[in-house]
Formats: sequence, structure tokens, C-alpha cells
Amino acid sequence: MVFDSSTLILLAKIDLLRESAEDISIVIPPKVKEECLFKESLDALLIKTLIAEGKIKVEKAGNQEAVRKLRADFRIEEGEAQALWLGKRLGVPLAVDDGPTIKACKVLGVQFVTAIHFLINLRARGKLELPLALAKLDALAAYGRYSRKIIEDAAQRLRGGN
Amino acid sequence: MGVISLRLKDRDLERLDELSKATHKDKSTMARELLEYGWDFLMFKYYKEGKLSLTALAKKLDVSISEALDLLKERGIEAPLGFDDYLKGFEVFNQVK
Repeated sequence: MVFDSSTLILLAKIDLLRESAEDISIVIPPKVKEECLFKESLDALLIKTLIAEGKIKVEKAGNQEAVRKLRADFRIEEGEAQALWLGKRLGVPLAVDDGPTIKACKVLGVQFVTAIHFLINLRARGKLELPLALAKLDALAAYGRYSRKIIEDAAQRLRGGN
Repeated sequence: MGVISLRLKDRDLERLDELSKATHKDKSTMARELLEYGWDFLMFKYYKEGKLSLTALAKKLDVSISEALDLLKERGIEAPLGFDDYLKGFEVFNQVK
């Protein structure tokens, strides 16, 4: 799955990025790497470590003209456009928590998931105990700022309700 | 630092004076601070309206994306994800697995 900076950093902030990287193959374009490592922080350090361990792969977004067009068409930045282009070229979903990029995904028919899906997926696969999963959901509710309806549904799913 | 002159409404001048006295700062400093607050407010508004992406917001605020997420958290600005899109995400995950 190709990741945009938003979801990558969100998962790093709630300390679920390593678990996600061990569960699914994560690919990012160079600009996303640059954006995530732009300033020293704990999440930047975690992302840098996972790249060094080969758990996050950095893959070039080749077609500069196409990336420029995506930026112009959808008013998104280079990292977001590179991730979108890479997802489309590889034919894989994009992990993204950014509004304009989500809109671009819908227009272009690129499938997408968000940080909260990784939390629910890890719980469904038995990789997280319920109390820990609920604590992560609390953190994600704050950092991810999902609507109350989404958080309530997610809590129900974590408890095994759906 | 550049210099500009601009006309302000009486009401705005009164507000500037009031803030300046309350914070013990001169009017120029207070005006610069208000401009910064106004800029940040406007950028968050644009983000909320979907006119700015997260990366663009971070650039406009001169912060990293991680710091921009912290600021969005502080302000409690809701994520741009509809419930239907959230539900579709599960189908995507099931296909990936």
C-alpha cells in the first residue's frame, strides 16, 4: 500500500506504525519521506528507523509532468501528488488522511484507507488486545479528529460488534 | 522589516489601543501579532473548507506536518472523512488481505 505523509505520521503518533508496517507492505515516494523527516521528532525518528530497517520502502514517483498536473488539478502538494501517482501506477490503495487528496482519489478512482482502518484491522487480526486498541482509538480520535459517528462505530468494531 | 501605512476603521483602532494597553505592548507589535493570529486563523479555515491540503497548511504555518497535526488536534478541527468513505475503507482492506 502507498502511504501519504498524513496517515504515516498519524500512525507514528499513536505508536501503531511499526505494527502496521509488519502487517502490510508500505511504500512511500521520496517527497513523502522528505516531508516526514523534515524536522526532528519522535514520529520522524520512528519513520526514519523503519525506512532504515526496510519496513517502509521508498519508491520513485517517475512522471514529473503527471505529478505536476495532479498538483494543479487537485490543489495538493508534491508529496501528496507523488503518493497519489504512485498508488495509481502500482494499482494499490492509498493510505491517506488528507481532504483534498481523498477527493482526488475519488475522482481518479484510486481506492483509499485511513489511519483508523489500520487500527481496526490490527485488532480484527488479533494483533491488539481490546484495552490497548481502545486506548489507541482515544489517541486517534484526538490526532485524527474523526467524527463522533466514526469513532463510535470504530469502538463497536474493536469490541467485536461488527 | 518593511513599513506600510494603512487606513483602519475607528473601531479597529480602538481595539488595537485596548489590546495594546492590556498587554503593555506598543501598537505596532500588537498589530503584527494580530496579523499573525489572523493569518493562522485564515489558513485553518481554508484547511477546514478543503481549500488547503495538510502539507499546504503546514507550509503556510511554517511548521512540519507533524506539528500541523498537533495544531489541528488542539483546535479540534474535524477530519475530512465522511462516514460512507470510512465504510468503504473496510472493503479496500478486505481486498488487500
